[in-house]
Amino acid sequence: MLEYINIFYVIFKRDLTLTFREKTDFINSLAFFIIIVLLFPLTFGSKSELLNTIIPGIIWISALLATCLSLETIFRSDFEDGSIEQLVLNRYPLILLVSAKILAHWITFGIPIIVISLTLGVILSLSNEIMMALFITLILGTPILSLLGSVMAVLTMGLHGSMLLSILILPLSMPVLIFSTIAIQNASLGLPIIAETYFLAGILILAITLAPIAAASALRIRLS
Amino acid sequence: MSKFSINNLECVRQNNILFQGLNITIKDHGLLQINGANGSGKSSLLQICSGLIEPTAGEILWNDKNTKKYRYEFQSNILYLGHTNAIKSSLTVEENMKVMHAMAGTKSKIDYSIILEKIGIPNTNEILTCNISAGQKRRVGLTRLFISKSKLWFLDEPFNALDEQGKKIIEKIIIKHCKNGGIVFFTTHQEMEINNYPLQNIHLGNNNA
Repeated sequence: MLEYINIFYVIFKRDLTLTFREKTDFINSLAFFIIIVLLFPLTFGSKSELLNTIIPGIIWISALLATCLSLETIFRSDFEDGSIEQLVLNRYPLILLVSAKILAHWITFGIPIIVISLTLGVILSLSNEIMMALFITLILGTPILSLLGSVMAVLTMGLHGSMLLSILILPLSMPVLIFSTIAIQNASLGLPIIAETYFLAGILILAITLAPIAAASALRIRLS
Repeated sequence: MSKFSINNLECVRQNNILFQGLNITIKDHGLLQINGANGSGKSSLLQICSGLIEPTAGEILWNDKNTKKYRYEFQSNILYLGHTNAIKSSLTVEENMKVMHAMAGTKSKIDYSIILEKIGIPNTNEILTCNISAGQKRRVGLTRLFISKSKLWFLDEPFNALDEQGKKIIEKIIIKHCKNGGIVFFTTHQEMEINNYPLQNIHLGNNNA
């Protein structure tokens, strides 16, 4: 058991180190995210009622688009330098190693997105209830995006252009988007958001259980 | 005593039969060189043997157990090295070796400096691998041979990018591994100077093995 935890930690740490050393991809997708969100107040004016209604949705859509950008990198270097063969032919279960990579992706992408969203929320003076709902939906939703996206990233690996990746991810993340935006709408009207939260948590558990298995199988198929 | 055998193996790529009806059985201390022209399926054979790709037909057995069914039992006994070095260019040499060490699953402590000295690139521990030459990168990838405790090695062109001295070091470690009871499959285009060890050969090509 201990060695499984150890290998998980080693792969996780390796991916974190790599992301922080090869900063460009990491910074690009976050910069893209910030710019898209900030374009809207520029075009729609800064009336706070209007921003309160549109900004949470826009943050969510931008997060989705930025995910598409960042996911492309999750397996790319492993495919290029042959590390993927070492992962697949390893004595440890591939599912475990893939999970470590997905967790590393969420830490380096999901968490910054949450922090930036909340900061942007403050800058654009969103109300407290909306900020709370935004936080809850993002913390449940971004891991789902990383998990679902990793499967698609493996499947589209090596095919030119990342457009296919976006086309695959966007429809699949529709449920997450719907529940999140409804939760935020309800919060802005002062209604409870517990039902949507449970739904998101349910999808997250489902994704945690199934996505690493799917990604691991997809990897084997991709290589053969 | 372990035994590795392939039965009636067939590989078809782009409607081209690379090999068919291939049978090999190899036991402890076996050293096998796969020969053949470019595109004759040497790498494919190694990839099939290691379980990376599926053969069109046939089966691969490790101790008479199908490697596909007993995947992880088989995989904890093998070391596969492809054309690529499988090292990360933004990690230092030692960081790369630490990852290899963890993936090899050997619990014993390893002194990385000693291995680097043995493989002919001493005092490179702290250097980022993007800053070293192709031959040195190859050597970093090949430190797996020192780290791994696996019995069965699949080496695809291990001597690529290596100079004479590097080639000798790798030849030595391969023979040492075989003498200790290991099994090695490898492909190469270079002349091998293995005189004091029985070397088996298979030839892939149009006039099949």
